Amino acid sequence: MDVLMEGKDLRKHYRTGEVEIEVLKGINFQIFYGEFIVVLGQSGSGKTTLLNIIGGMTQASTGELYYKEQPLHEIDDQELTLYRRNEVGFVFQNYNLMPNLTAYENVRLAVEIAQNPLSVSDILREVGLENWSDHFPSQLSGGQQQRVAIARAIVKNPELLLCDEPTGALDIQTGIQVLKALQKLNREYHKTVIIITHNVEIAKMANRVFYLKDGLLDDVKIIEKPLCPEEISW
Amino acid sequence: MVMLRRKTWRDIRENFGVYLACIMVIALGLLLYTSMSIAVESMDKAQQDFYVETNFADGFITVTGYPENKVNSLTFLPGIDQAAGRIVKEVRVIDQQEDSNRYLKMLTLNDANAPQINQIQLIEGQLPNENQPEILVDPKFLAANHLSLGDSIDVSIDGNQVSLYITGTAQSPEFIYIMRNAQDLYPSAEEFGIAYVPLSTLKALVKEKGQVNDIVITLKPGVSFDSVKDSLQAELKPYGVRSIVPRKDQTSHAILTSEIKQIRTMTKTLPVVFLGVAAIILYTMLRRLIEQQRVAIGTLKAFGFTDREIVLHYLTYPVVIGTTGGVLGGLSGVALSFPLTTMYKEFFALPGLKSEFSFKYLFFSLALAFVFSVLSGVKGSLDILRLEPAEAMRPPAPGTARKTLIEKFTWFWQTLSSQAQMGIRDVFRTPTRSLFNVIGIAVVYSLMTVSWSMQNMTDLLTVVQLEQVQTYDVKLQLTEPSPTGAVKFALAHDAGVSKVEPVLEVPASLRSSWLKKDVALMGLSEDSTLYNILDKSGRRLEVPDHGVLLSEHLAKSLNVKAGDVIYVESPLRRETLSQKGENLLVTGVVPQYVGLNAFMKDTELQRFLRQGEISTAMLIQMDSAEIGSMKSKYQNASNVSSIESLKDTGAKIQKMMESFGFTVWLLAILGGFCGFALIYNASIISLSERKRELASLRVLGMTPSEVLRVITSEQWTLYAFGILLGIPMAYGLSMSMAQSMSNDMYSLPADLPPMALLGAAAGTAFSVLVAQSRAYYKIKSLPYVEILATRD
Repeated sequence: MDVLMEGKDLRKHYRTGEVEIEVLKGINFQIFYGEFIVVLGQSGSGKTTLLNIIGGMTQASTGELYYKEQPLHEIDDQELTLYRRNEVGFVFQNYNLMPNLTAYENVRLAVEIAQNPLSVSDILREVGLENWSDHFPSQLSGGQQQRVAIARAIVKNPELLLCDEPTGALDIQTGIQVLKALQKLNREYHKTVIIITHNVEIAKMANRVFYLKDGLLDDVKIIEKPLCPEEISW
Repeated sequence: MVMLRRKTWRDIRENFGVYLACIMVIALGLLLYTSMSIAVESMDKAQQDFYVETNFADGFITVTGYPENKVNSLTFLPGIDQAAGRIVKEVRVIDQQEDSNRYLKMLTLNDANAPQINQIQLIEGQLPNENQPEILVDPKFLAANHLSLGDSIDVSIDGNQVSLYITGTAQSPEFIYIMRNAQDLYPSAEEFGIAYVPLSTLKALVKEKGQVNDIVITLKPGVSFDSVKDSLQAELKPYGVRSIVPRKDQTSHAILTSEIKQIRTMTKTLPVVFLGVAAIILYTMLRRLIEQQRVAIGTLKAFGFTDREIVLHYLTYPVVIGTTGGVLGGLSGVALSFPLTTMYKEFFALPGLKSEFSFKYLFFSLALAFVFSVLSGVKGSLDILRLEPAEAMRPPAPGTARKTLIEKFTWFWQTLSSQAQMGIRDVFRTPTRSLFNVIGIAVVYSLMTVSWSMQNMTDLLTVVQLEQVQTYDVKLQLTEPSPTGAVKFALAHDAGVSKVEPVLEVPASLRSSWLKKDVALMGLSEDSTLYNILDKSGRRLEVPDHGVLLSEHLAKSLNVKAGDVIYVESPLRRETLSQKGENLLVTGVVPQYVGLNAFMKDTELQRFLRQGEISTAMLIQMDSAEIGSMKSKYQNASNVSSIESLKDTGAKIQKMMESFGFTVWLLAILGGFCGFALIYNASIISLSERKRELASLRVLGMTPSEVLRVITSEQWTLYAFGILLGIPMAYGLSMSMAQSMSNDMYSLPADLPPMALLGAAAGTAFSVLVAQSRAYYKIKSLPYVEILATRD
């Protein structure tokens, strides 16, 4: 398999108020095209920071990060923005939809900056929301909102889909619906999906699981037979 | 970016109240700017056009009598282009009512062969025929006295009663603002008007034959009036020159020009104040919006929106607000310019004065709004650039939690309720925002203070002038300087008269280095009690034996102070060739609210003039019941120019002061609205920032008004600092306002009494209270359960 992304000795420290914290303490990894990766770890283990670095939301304090062999650690803000615009789709735990745009408009927002976008209506149909496109986020359930967020992330047709606790705010039924949408993307559209979670059950869906502990990659486990969302429960 | 535009529109709709308040502040500022700019531009243009069309004179000379056939020879003097002689007579209109005071200034119309200076413009009717008792009058006199063309007016000219028929109305550039004299302060079209009469008609009615008593001149291009004044003075001296006035000092021109200048100053200052307040509102609002939408910004960044795209998106808020305010202000300003111009037409008879739709000022107003809003928007949204997307997704790091300065005063701090402590802490923890709000409140407060103090200034001016300075009952003005003894004696024996004091008022030129001012030099008797000179604290000052006292405004114009020496000349001085004038010591500088004078002891002024014991007016203290009979006794006397009771003067001063009322109220209302908008915005920001805290307090069982205390204590703290900063600002503004509204006719005292400071504080507090009442209703309807159920 071809390497999509490679991180070498990634470290990150930042300041919160008056305290300086080292969140990542030297992480090395490779991600291959079309993989489904789940990153597991306790709160404060550095999962979100790692996802942010992979997604170009922030840069590592030291270390090297390559995407399609291009050094992301050397590029400036403008190039990093283009990287996010053209290559990455994000799904957040709290959906982060624009509250005063409808489902359709939230997805359409991403289309306006994409180079090679997909059809908004097709994507909404894919996530089962074709009849909810005129609704504002406050008129949708949590699961529906998260599916709008997924639709918004994939409508740009990105190579890499990064999900930060995508089911964290959802009940099990709704969570499974969301995970199904993500697996479909991975299997049918061959998108590379990285999910960070502290829900160990979700890890059973992955090709590989990264275990993060105290800012270090503690273990990487390969799953020979990933499960379907319907087969897991929590 | 269609979707982002939709987001902007919906965001604005959600907080429409605050945005609307901001739009209104901008619109008000630009309403004033556009309407005043259009009005002042049309006034300026109408003035210039009228002057050119009518060949307005560069100089105005009054003489006792100058041979009619010699007038043209004045053009042989270097610098003089044209000269025209006229007969000017001020005549009393004879009424049924004996003590009425209606006067007409009669001017002879230009002879067809003479140079056409100060041509009249016929407004309606037709020109009067030669040798016929026919006149034209100014339209305001006609209207104010309910006269019509064809009506006759009875006047008394040099003792002869004549009926004159009105054939039409006309307007001259010399009488755009019609006042009998500079001391009148306010025009009264009912009591004083201008009449134009053929030379042949008036010649037949006056005593002096073959003579003119008034000459107007124009200058050759590039020639200054000062360079011809001396030669004119020398030429006219033998003919009893009374005054030589350059165009800039001609009453109507000076008032119109000073009004134009004053409006221009206001068009430059007032909008800046309003746009400044609007900029503060926009800035704080945008900062809050950005803080509130931190995650949305992070999300947009995560999706690959560039910083430029996001900053532009957030700039659309101020641009939309600014543009809307600009369009509203510009259009309503254009609309207001029409009634405003009509109002100016009431005061200034300028034939070409009319308002027109102005794309220029509409554009300027839009551009101003745009620049102000973009500047405040850029300042408010720069933080977006510094925000890393990953950082934006997290809630902001808590600020450094240190005790604020005020908490060190534990004895005070402990007395405060928890809500007050929360509110006050916030003032110190968001110092930039607090500072902007404090500045805004200070501006509002100083506007209100000026409004209050102007009311006070005008009251003070009226009271001081009418009760302390002019303490006479009647002033009898003589047509020319006359020996004091005989007049005083005659008046002293009239019924009801208890005291008569002579006054000598003569035209004089005061010079200090290159600065020069033409004023009336006033000679008062040593023991004068009917006209008092007061110092700054209102104490009566003795007129010095030697030297001259100057009014503050005059001293400033000449840039002199007590102890300096000025050079004084007067056309009434009997001079030797080597001694045209005299150096006189400035013995003091005194406040003078009405008029612009220099004061001397009468004996000293008589010595200076070398004309013996003369006076030009008599101040009389008398029984008010006898004033009417005194008026009817003397008003037709050939050596009496006018008799005015203090009551008449008071009415004129009062009328002038009332004309300031509009400005006073406008400032107060606009200031109050700005204060409301500022505090309302601050309330909404506090509410949205603290909704979780406030919801918790509601859940704890506090009533909406107890919860409101968190916000009100923050705002009253800002208010207190705003007032403290506002006091020096108010002093500055009040001084500059008084200065800009003062002219040669009156000086407004730059006084800021405690009442003005307190009144403005109450006014500002009122606008704060109104804004807080809106916040109260928002707290009352706060969905606190929902707020606490949702995550930040």
